[in-house]
Amino acid sequence: MSETILEINDLRVSYGGIEAVKGITLDVHKGKIVTLIGSNGAGKSTTLKAVAGLVKPQSGSIKFKGQELIGLSPDKIVKSGVVLVPEGRRVFPNLTVKENLKMGAYLRKDDLTEDFEYVYSLFPRLKEREWQLAGTLSGGEQQMLAVGRALMSKPELIMMDEPSLGLAPIVVKDIFKIIRTINEAGITVLLIEQNAFMALQNADWAYVLETGTIKTQREGLELLDDETIQEAYLGKTRE
Amino acid sequence: MEFAVSQILSGISLGGQYALIAIGYTMVYGILRLINFAHGDVFMIAGIMMIYMATTLPLYIAIPAMIICTVLLGFLIERAAYKPLRAAPRMSVMISAIGVSYLLQNLALYITGGQPKTYPRIPWISDTVTIFGARTYVVTLVTPFLVIALVVALTLLINHTKIGIAMRAVSKDFETSQLMGVKINTVISVTFIIGSFLAAVGSVLYFTNYPTVVPMSGAMPGLKAFVAAVFGGIGSIPGAVIGAFIIGICETLIKGTDYAIFSDAFTFALLIVILVAKPTGIFGEKTTDKV
Amino acid sequence: MLITVLTSQKAPAAAAVLVGKNVAIVLGSYGSGVSIAASETFKNAGVAAMGITCTNPNVTAGNDHYFRICFLDPFQGTVLANFAAKELGAKKAYCLGELGNEYDQGLISYFTEAFKAAGGTVISDSFPTNNSDFTTYINKAKSEGCDVFFCPVSIAYSTQIVAQAATKDVSFAILGSDTLDDNMVLDAAKGTDIKLYVSTFYAEGGNADFDAGIKEYINTNADAKTANGGNDTISAVTAMGYDAYFVAIEAIKAANSTDPGAIKTALPTVKYTGVSGDIAFDDIGDAKRDTAYIKTADNDNAAWKFVTQQSAK
Repeated sequence: MSETILEINDLRVSYGGIEAVKGITLDVHKGKIVTLIGSNGAGKSTTLKAVAGLVKPQSGSIKFKGQELIGLSPDKIVKSGVVLVPEGRRVFPNLTVKENLKMGAYLRKDDLTEDFEYVYSLFPRLKEREWQLAGTLSGGEQQMLAVGRALMSKPELIMMDEPSLGLAPIVVKDIFKIIRTINEAGITVLLIEQNAFMALQNADWAYVLETGTIKTQREGLELLDDETIQEAYLGKTRE
Repeated sequence: MEFAVSQILSGISLGGQYALIAIGYTMVYGILRLINFAHGDVFMIAGIMMIYMATTLPLYIAIPAMIICTVLLGFLIERAAYKPLRAAPRMSVMISAIGVSYLLQNLALYITGGQPKTYPRIPWISDTVTIFGARTYVVTLVTPFLVIALVVALTLLINHTKIGIAMRAVSKDFETSQLMGVKINTVISVTFIIGSFLAAVGSVLYFTNYPTVVPMSGAMPGLKAFVAAVFGGIGSIPGAVIGAFIIGICETLIKGTDYAIFSDAFTFALLIVILVAKPTGIFGEKTTDKV
Repeated sequence: MLITVLTSQKAPAAAAVLVGKNVAIVLGSYGSGVSIAASETFKNAGVAAMGITCTNPNVTAGNDHYFRICFLDPFQGTVLANFAAKELGAKKAYCLGELGNEYDQGLISYFTEAFKAAGGTVISDSFPTNNSDFTTYINKAKSEGCDVFFCPVSIAYSTQIVAQAATKDVSFAILGSDTLDDNMVLDAAKGTDIKLYVSTFYAEGGNADFDAGIKEYINTNADAKTANGGNDTISAVTAMGYDAYFVAIEAIKAANSTDPGAIKTALPTVKYTGVSGDIAFDDIGDAKRDTAYIKTADNDNAAWKFVTQQSAK
């Protein structure tokens, strides 16, 4: 059993007056791919945002490698090695591909040549479009850019908010292949997805979130075979 | 011929001075979506500060001191009047800006007692020179070159430095910039500092040309600079500069005709036309977001 | 008590403050626009007001509470037009006033009438409020070959005009009304080649005792000196204010009380010889004056030089 790299304990977050997260406890183990699935409004995004320091929780604790993250500013959290790839990609449309990647490395002061090489090796298409404005890229390319950008900060834990959103199935397959590649290189992944199938297929461990609380947790592939999950999230009807 | 040359020189000079103010407007709008109504009045306060400083300090100290104080003023205004309202609806912060504008004007009124003040003569740029047969101040010739130099420097800053990329990123997406570790407060402060610096430089050039300063001296140039920024494409620095030169030149040319009283009306008519025809302005940013 | 009012819009509010303090009589204002705007408030309170240097006929016309001790606009405009045509031999005049400003536009229309009657031609323009750039208008006057540039505008503008004209190598003379009679304008013309002529209520040298007394006051009182432009040159508004004060005292003596109503009735009967000349009131409440002083700027010394006493005929 590998060590726990991220520990969330009884997290409560109110967002816009509504309590979106009502006491979540979950662990992420180092080097694994963990996924949170659940329908819209279940509180998944909010959880990730709380870890990233964008929203302030009402109570609870978030510990990364033993260090409490709640109360830290987002830049300090990035410095500790946690990075978020936000929902909808959110690349900077007015910056070039290369500049977007540079933004990912904003806090770093060392030489970036190797990192650029690594990212371009994962995403050759980005290298082709190095000088293009990010806003002109396709959805899939933007997703790659967003992931590449996150990698530039040399994170230990990458969080991803709905990486498959709005992408064609074949592109989604590519994205998840990349996720596995990054993970094999040693980076822990915490991702949330509405596309439960791909998420569960690729995750080592899965949490199911419903209206702000965790309902189930199990190994991803096991959950795939669970009938209730199949009905709720995989679109299968009871025969 | 002399008339035409004089007019064009005046127009270019005026345009350059508007440009320095317009850049401040467009940068702040680009990042905060805030029309900083107080900006023109910061420009006027810079003029007033210079007048008072020049009575006690030698010019080579007074000028840098004034610039530093103006920059400080811009920074403080942002911290005190705009930062607390960052989460508030956009209308609130705009109203705050209008409030600051009135505050500065009335502060100037109180300090000067309502008396118009004369700007100190700055050696060399206040000297007159004859060019193509027309007599004018040296500052009229210096202004366009200085403006271009500053714009080039600014563009280099925006495109090639870390803080520059951060400013461009923040102007599109606050939240994601924070995810990259950008300190939003720092970026915003830098924006105001740059804007105020340019306003301070602009005030030296403007008031050397038109040496009487009253509390309302910043209101109209500020407004016209704002129109220039909108016309050129709010958020675009080259756009603001070009817009400012166009307005400066047209305003001056119109004053020389029989329709002189419409010179201000022209500028505002231009605002209406651009908002109706192409709201993003001449060089307005193409929206490159794809879903 | 002294209230500084700069715009006609704020005048009624300032007037209300004075009325609220139960003043016996109001001395003011210096400007016609402000006086006209405040007039209604004084009338309703039954308080008499004495305009010091407001020259627009509308200040006293049609009411019985507003008086003035200075001469009228038509008078100044005519005087300056005659001076330009007869003494300076001008044939073409350029007139510039602030858009919407009663004083400026009023004076320009009287000037135009008299100048045309003397056989000259007139070009006029108006500039928008808060305008700083006058080079265009100056260029225009120059290229049209005008002999005189008449700009009866307030100090903030006239200093700009003089300063900007100085850079332009102009051959025309700048003519101004009493609003240009100010040390700041003198300073703007100092060291330049600008020929500046100003019509005024009083020129230094008219009354030696008064001159000495006022200079002593200015030199021993720092605020007064600053307000006077930093020196002790006597401007006509100072002399007029001084005379107005004594006329008010005469009215209080004549009424034998400080009741505003009694003073108002007594005022028209006052006859007083002030430093600016004889003062008496006619039926409308205007002062019976018939001369204006014309002075010019001595640019080497930043001082005024008396030119002539010009009449309105």
